[in-house]
Amino acid sequence: MEFKVNSIELEKLLNKIIPAVPTRTPMPILENFLFEIKNGLLTIYATDLEISLKSSINVVSDENMSLVVPARLLYDIIKSFPDTTVKFLTSNNKLNVITDFGTYTLGYIEANEYPEIPSFPQKTDEDVQEISMNGLELKKAFDKTSFAIGKEEMRPAMMGTLLELSDEGLRFVATDGHRLVNLLNKKITSQGLIQYIVPEKAISVLQKILDEKDAKLYLSKSHISFKLSDIELITRLIGQKYPDFKGVIPLENEFSLQVKTKEIHDAIRRMLLFATTSTRRVKFSISASAIDISAEDIDLGSSANESVMCKYNGEPLEIGFNAGYVNDILSHMLPEKEVVFKLNSPTKAAIVVPSEEKETEELMMLLMPVRLNS
Amino acid sequence: MRTIFHLDLDAFFVSVERVLDPSLNGKSVIVGADPQYGRGVVAACSYEARAYGLHSAMPIKQAYRLCPNGIYLHGHFAEYVRFSKAVKSILTKYVPLIEQASIDEFYLDLTGCEKIYGSLFMFASKLQKEIMQNLSLPCSIGIAGNKTLAKIASDFNKPLGITYVLHGMEKEFLSRMPVSAMPGIGRETTKSLLAKGFRTLGDIADSSEDYFNLAFGKYGSDMWNKANGRGREFLSKPAERKSIAHEKTFAADEIDKNKIESVLFRLSGKVCQALRNYNWQSATVSVKLRYSDFITLTRAKTIEPTDDDKIVFETALELFRKAFTRRVAIRLIGIHLANFSEYNEQEKLFTDKDFMRDKMLHVVSKIRDKYGYESIRVGMY
Repeated sequence: MEFKVNSIELEKLLNKIIPAVPTRTPMPILENFLFEIKNGLLTIYATDLEISLKSSINVVSDENMSLVVPARLLYDIIKSFPDTTVKFLTSNNKLNVITDFGTYTLGYIEANEYPEIPSFPQKTDEDVQEISMNGLELKKAFDKTSFAIGKEEMRPAMMGTLLELSDEGLRFVATDGHRLVNLLNKKITSQGLIQYIVPEKAISVLQKILDEKDAKLYLSKSHISFKLSDIELITRLIGQKYPDFKGVIPLENEFSLQVKTKEIHDAIRRMLLFATTSTRRVKFSISASAIDISAEDIDLGSSANESVMCKYNGEPLEIGFNAGYVNDILSHMLPEKEVVFKLNSPTKAAIVVPSEEKETEELMMLLMPVRLNS
Repeated sequence: MRTIFHLDLDAFFVSVERVLDPSLNGKSVIVGADPQYGRGVVAACSYEARAYGLHSAMPIKQAYRLCPNGIYLHGHFAEYVRFSKAVKSILTKYVPLIEQASIDEFYLDLTGCEKIYGSLFMFASKLQKEIMQNLSLPCSIGIAGNKTLAKIASDFNKPLGITYVLHGMEKEFLSRMPVSAMPGIGRETTKSLLAKGFRTLGDIADSSEDYFNLAFGKYGSDMWNKANGRGREFLSKPAERKSIAHEKTFAADEIDKNKIESVLFRLSGKVCQALRNYNWQSATVSVKLRYSDFITLTRAKTIEPTDDDKIVFETALELFRKAFTRRVAIRLIGIHLANFSEYNEQEKLFTDKDFMRDKMLHVVSKIRDKYGYESIRVGMY
């Protein structure tokens, strides 16, 4: 077999695919790329059995064939070349990579040993939903929600972002049991109600590869395919029931606290320096016109205290939060000039929403407080 | 200027042995390894034995050659701990700030206590007498402005000595001592100091700090300062607990997986109970496994901070099943928790099973504190 390709173009392609190559795996074959050449089109695959990535490039080649090559070694050598033509040639069960600089020989494996990668849309009669969405819009939805994804292996359902498709719209939800983000895109609607939990790994890769071009989503019961302009990501879904997030959104939070996002965010970041590192607890003492925010570390004997102007319509309230969680929430609310905290009592969830509602989007974050009496 | 006492129990292990068996008085007593067996070292020896040239940490074989008529004992470690605690309880009656440096060494901060106890020298003598009368244990006390100096002072006149290094006399006191008198200067450092012509601590003090910095690095500067009578003036806080562990050695080596796993279950309960009593959560669970041929493995896994028996047990079980691969019986199994954070009062969104379990486990802990560990058991589901 023989084919030629430009080094820079190949590097760009491999760079996009390599995130799916696992670094530690009980199946060493996964540390390879699968190369498939069909009618002058080279398609490269990589998978860690949870997600798989695939992308294609035109090459100069006369034959059709496929082979499995060591991913990192190939990527590193291609990356090191300046703009040049790279010739791939197989002989004596070795793959020769030939450039003007020299010849590099790699071992390769037959393609039939590589695990099967699902493909979309599938021919089976299974229900596959199809959504088309702007890439940046999708990226924004993931950016806004993914920080709240849980890390506890004991609760696998929370280790991903929920995509819920219904007549209300496409909803993105992430929670770790302490905070929750709920983002609804009203532009995309569908009959019925279907839930998909996309694992964190797929989301972190998507956040890197999504661009301004449209993305096509194919959603099946077990997998989702994200087809971007030049790359396709297929991920397994988390086959668990997502916790009942609607049931924990409080309805009785009538005290509303409106505050400038940047002001309170800056204050929280300073408090974070003074809060005890293990609990990161800050105290909000809220009155009609100002919030007193304070933090202390008894072990170090340090403490801090700030006042932030606000508009508040409830009874005076003292409530504690994990400053790290508040910081996460506010930094993802930053594009909004003002945010509203809806509160009820020092032990009930606080709702955080932008002060201005948007027509096509609803964003709501939930945060559980930390007890103060200890 | 602070006032630090260093109280050192003289030949502590031997002194305890003599309390337990008065017939040992006046004889050469050596506590340590068995000289017949030939391995190990001297843990402590009586002053009579020291006359033969013995000292602690000497290989037991060498000790036996020097003093073949001595009485060699294995030691009663539990008794030493008991006596050490008794000494500490006498000290806590008088002194608010105590740092226990080892089983037989205490630093006491008596800064400003002259107003309460009058002459500190007399107070030291009173402490010494009280420990002798109540526990029959001799001790030596050094008094100085910092810890290093106090330690050198307690060593200066042993046994049953009291040495008070008055403020301003520090350099004078140290100047004629050999360099090896300084804690932290061992055999190797002594050698290189002698090679450079430093015989006494006075020689070091008369040299310049810069020279010591160059010759010995950061440690050199520290050495120079100590030789000049300076040192740490403040006692350190008792070290924080870094781990909680429970182990079980089987009466007979065990190969039945179910039996071992049930022991693992009990150990999980015990370590988690201890964890909750500290109001902590742990993020690292390790399992220790010793086969009957003494090959020992430990396997650890990092998890989300927890104090739940169930999570610890499941993690431990997973580790154990991965580690227990040989067809050899198990001699010992243990669980070890580390990487602590404070149990925090973060409220949870979902009041599900886990939430209720968390509340329940803290109630279980309270019941056990009141009625004992066996009063209630936690099931798996």
